[in-house]
Amino acid sequence: MMRAIVIFLLLLGWAGGVLAQDMPLSQVLIDGEGWQAVSEGHGFTDGVCSDAEGNVYFSDVRSGQVIYKVDLDGKVSEFIKDAAGISGLQWAADGKLYACVARGRMVVRFDKEGKMEILAKEVRPNDLVVTHDGNVYFTQTPEKEIRRIDPSGKMTVVSKDVVTKPNGITLSADQGTLAVSDYGGKYVWTFRIEKDGSLSYPQNYMMMRTPHSNPEVAKGDGMATDADGRYYVTSAEGLQMYDPTGRMGGVIAKPQNAGLVSATFAGPGLSYLYVACGDKIYRRKTKTKGVLFFQQPKLDKQK
Amino acid sequence: MMLNPFARLVLSTLVLSASLVSADDKEYKPGPDAMPKEGVPKGVVTKHEWKSKIFPGTVRDYWVYVPAQYDGKSPAALMVFQDGGGIIREKGSFRAPIVFDNLIAAGEMPVTIGLFINPGVVPPAKEGQKGRKNRSYEYDTLSDQYARFMLEEMIPELEKKYKITKNPEGRGICGNSSGGICAFTVAWERPDAFRKVVSHVGSFTNIRGGHVYPALIRKTEKKPLRVFLQDGKNDLDNLHGNWPLANQQMAKALEFSGYDYKFVFGEGVHSGRHGGAILPDTMRWIWRNWKEEKY
Repeated sequence: MMRAIVIFLLLLGWAGGVLAQDMPLSQVLIDGEGWQAVSEGHGFTDGVCSDAEGNVYFSDVRSGQVIYKVDLDGKVSEFIKDAAGISGLQWAADGKLYACVARGRMVVRFDKEGKMEILAKEVRPNDLVVTHDGNVYFTQTPEKEIRRIDPSGKMTVVSKDVVTKPNGITLSADQGTLAVSDYGGKYVWTFRIEKDGSLSYPQNYMMMRTPHSNPEVAKGDGMATDADGRYYVTSAEGLQMYDPTGRMGGVIAKPQNAGLVSATFAGPGLSYLYVACGDKIYRRKTKTKGVLFFQQPKLDKQK
Repeated sequence: MMLNPFARLVLSTLVLSASLVSADDKEYKPGPDAMPKEGVPKGVVTKHEWKSKIFPGTVRDYWVYVPAQYDGKSPAALMVFQDGGGIIREKGSFRAPIVFDNLIAAGEMPVTIGLFINPGVVPPAKEGQKGRKNRSYEYDTLSDQYARFMLEEMIPELEKKYKITKNPEGRGICGNSSGGICAFTVAWERPDAFRKVVSHVGSFTNIRGGHVYPALIRKTEKKPLRVFLQDGKNDLDNLHGNWPLANQQMAKALEFSGYDYKFVFGEGVHSGRHGGAILPDTMRWIWRNWKEEKY
């Protein structure tokens, strides 16, 4: 009997593996659950990210002077004052909020009291991700660069002249792969993160849908990852979703006809997609949930 | 026997899934040409590993089949199989080495070296991570990259040890599912290097844009390819497309443009059972005039 069960589970595992590769939108979207605006009246929203509870943080890169917070009840407040021109935000394992200060040309982090510490000056950061072990990777879009700030604070260029306009940046669920979207091309590139934090083997792994009027430029922007390893990338055509092997699952419509530039999973159970789109922040409920990179990634059991 | 609820659930699911998976595939079984025959000399299969530069960072296994009749002097024909690890299994659906032994001995296909190759993976840097699976990228992408991988890496590596024909008529490439569209792409991109294509349950669907092939075939000057397609009416219908319709479109496009092609459309699902069952006849058809072609 046990043998039969074991064999069956092996079969199921095989079939499950095959099925897992096919990831249509219906695995994520819920009928009747569309985009809902959760914050309005901004200039140009950006930098959505989540904390461990699912509270959402975002910036207004054009006209805002603060970092906003949307709590689980939907209440919007000013979380950090005197924080203008921010284009990328992520919480890290040290309990601090890391930020790309595009206008001030700095990468900084804020502690819970809002005290700011500068990590890099005279840079042109667009978006960032922080690994569980404290490596910051950020994009410098016009310079065609990806840079890394290691936990000791040392900054290095880890990719140059690979991605035309590196913009959005995320990790695989196991944090072994870095994914970077191209604002000036049509691919999301993947890199292997080496043990020393350097990047290797860049590959144009995901091909984005592009507008018919501009077939070579997808305007890939902010990215997110869910617990099943799907990648999400904002773009001119909408929020594009890919399975972990780089195959497109589908394109989720924009909430409004405006720049869709940032996405994250947040809210109760991390099961809501939040996006920054023009003057508003929107969310919608999904069947999946996000991953938080400041938490220990789930790894396969050691053999 | 009293079963606990979990065991009952497992058993009922087992029965259900068994009926779903195999109902339409049961009739397809390996035939006598896929069984070892007395007096037929056996070729030798060796396993190797390859680190690619064209697919940077990838590692993969591959197997080389060398028939007993290969003499090291006359160039051999070449047959490449994607997802090769499954194709060489002696208890699998294809059992290609045994089929090759039998058909070569009978003079029904040329002395052929088989290259059975798995897709690449970029292994993880740290233990417990998953690495980057490269199968879809390598097989489903419409470009010459996989053809260059064959022509600039794998075939030169084989040629270090074996004489392989330079005549593209003597070079075939075969695959299942995404491996099938990959086989077609290699020959489509490089008909100067490969002219025989075998696709089983081929993914001529929009995984990475491969659904355009029927349209391209109709509006491109005919290429000198011989194409064998197999699919089943119960094959996949999912976000990427409908496999039975896509393969029928491929067959009709090949017919429209005057290709030397054959389409076998059965009852099967998305599996190799039908393609495996008919592999000997497929090899006979694809190599049918090999004695007139000079390798």
